[in-house]
Amino acid sequence: MATADTMTKNRVSAASLREKPGFSKRRRVSTPGTIGLWIGRMLVYGLLIAGCLVTLAPFLWMLSNSFKSSTEIVRLPPTLIPENPTLQSYRTIFTDPHVPLARFYLNSIIVTASVTGLILFTSSLAGFVFAKYQFFGKNLLFTLTLATMMIPFQVVMIPLYLIINRLHLVDNLTGLIVPAGVSAFGIFLMRQFIESIPGELIDAARIDGASEIGIYGRVVLPQMGPALATLGIFQFMGTWNDYLWPLIVITTTERRTLPVMLTWYNSQHGSRYDLTMAASVLVILPILIVYFLFQRWIVRGIALTGFK
Amino acid sequence: MTTVTRRRTKLLRSQHIFAGTSLTPIMVYMMFFTLLPMVWAVLITLFRYSPTRQGGLLGLGGGNPFVALRNYVDLFSGSPNGQLFRISVKNTLIFALLVLPLNLVVTLPLAVLIESVRQRFKVIFRTIYFLPTVTSLVAVAIIWGTVYNPTFGLLNLALKALGLPGKPWLSDATTRILGVPLPMLCVIVTYVWQDMGYNLVIFIAGLQGIPEVFHEAALVDGANAWQRFWRITLPLLRSTLTFVIVMTMLSSWQQFVLVDVMMGHGGPSNTTRTLVLHVYETAFRYQEMGLAATVAMALFLIIIVTTLVQMRLLRKEWEY
Repeated sequence: MATADTMTKNRVSAASLREKPGFSKRRRVSTPGTIGLWIGRMLVYGLLIAGCLVTLAPFLWMLSNSFKSSTEIVRLPPTLIPENPTLQSYRTIFTDPHVPLARFYLNSIIVTASVTGLILFTSSLAGFVFAKYQFFGKNLLFTLTLATMMIPFQVVMIPLYLIINRLHLVDNLTGLIVPAGVSAFGIFLMRQFIESIPGELIDAARIDGASEIGIYGRVVLPQMGPALATLGIFQFMGTWNDYLWPLIVITTTERRTLPVMLTWYNSQHGSRYDLTMAASVLVILPILIVYFLFQRWIVRGIALTGFK
Repeated sequence: MTTVTRRRTKLLRSQHIFAGTSLTPIMVYMMFFTLLPMVWAVLITLFRYSPTRQGGLLGLGGGNPFVALRNYVDLFSGSPNGQLFRISVKNTLIFALLVLPLNLVVTLPLAVLIESVRQRFKVIFRTIYFLPTVTSLVAVAIIWGTVYNPTFGLLNLALKALGLPGKPWLSDATTRILGVPLPMLCVIVTYVWQDMGYNLVIFIAGLQGIPEVFHEAALVDGANAWQRFWRITLPLLRSTLTFVIVMTMLSSWQQFVLVDVMMGHGGPSNTTRTLVLHVYETAFRYQEMGLAATVAMALFLIIIVTTLVQMRLLRKEWEY
């Protein structure tokens, strides 16, 4: 009886603590006084802000250098903030006939959009079949799909290159798109999501005379907005930033995607930090815009799926 | 009655046809680009293989002679490739085993601190700390290359302001801290900086998953923040922690971009040559694909072991 009493008392105090997000209750229970708590909070904020500075410093350094003139960039000691901010370096990149910037952006957009589109289509369709249909060998096939997730890209990149070589897709954007069109992880993710769609909904559509492909297109897909968005954003970022595979497949300058273009540009103008930093800004910018637009999805996606 | 059964079989058949026609091409497609290359990768290790030479089926045989297990033996021999292989295994181990604790020491306390501030600030901090993670690793490598630059770099500039001597960070292979060469340390620091946002977000999600009641109960019992962290937060975060450790290990084993872009071909005296870099250079610079695939198998072995250990650890998991 006594234990039950203390338990209820504890629960009551816990509930009242939860109701008031402030520190009034906490102060009464924990030992440190008002000043101690205030110092503690300032310390927390101080640490967090210091951490932010370390995180942002390289970015600010890049921005600062990209706005320096070609004379200021080589001055010693280096300046932290450009004395005469100029767009000179950006202008140089945009007007350089050897650097078809629009072409690089277009290459990256073509590859990223195609891969993301393909993955969303194949993953949702295969996920749908795995989730809602019964057929012989289903479990075996699904296990096999999961098993392929264990194969790291770096282990199969040599034969993949040989396959692409035989399909005559080396130095071709298609060679970047085709091998990435199906994702075992994507199929897994979509299956998990589609399993939560009630079977009654699908049966109802069937009774109304919908074809199976109609059920996929008109019943299942419209319900999958959040799942498709999560998979799509991560696939977009992963493909956009991909480096190793384009490095292997692409040899002609005009067919490079942005990350490979950046290392190439860096090797051409290695000592001109104003130029390489401006080029870095131009490569990073699109992905940062995507990040700020879809931030909530990205954070939730990682928390839910552990996507990397 | 018979019409109903007939309609039912017809429905079932159309379902089977749909499942078959939609899934088969996708599965064939996937296997063509995962299983086939995996089998091919294993086979290549038994040959001296270059795509420039003619061979039989899959290019095996003919100009690419069968060498049995000689490629594997070579990894442990005194040949240049064997030596480079062992160096790259050592470097990869150093890299992964240093990245892991450094990452955890930064991200876990940071996550706890971020969780403790007000919602509005929480979002701001999380946004900022996650920025490097979405940035292309190539750009990160180039930016940090200029940060480490001995003459124009931000790091030496900051050290000078504090009255400390600067260093040629990326080219000084003789200076060692705790036995780790300086260039390798620089790569590790850069990687931790880039990768921490990911683990941070997972830890924050894990922290939010811990029922508040536990903390409140401890608070009522008079536990201080330190005790609450060690006795409640950490034990309840165990599954998150296991996941984070394994994911960090897996991505560390596969590090390529930073060492390639920042350091070039293995860095000074090969101090930053990692396994994937070694595979890449052997296969695509020297066209020795048999040897490269054999090195890749070593990487595969490490990754499989890591995954199996993870499965083992997660099986013992308990839930609250």
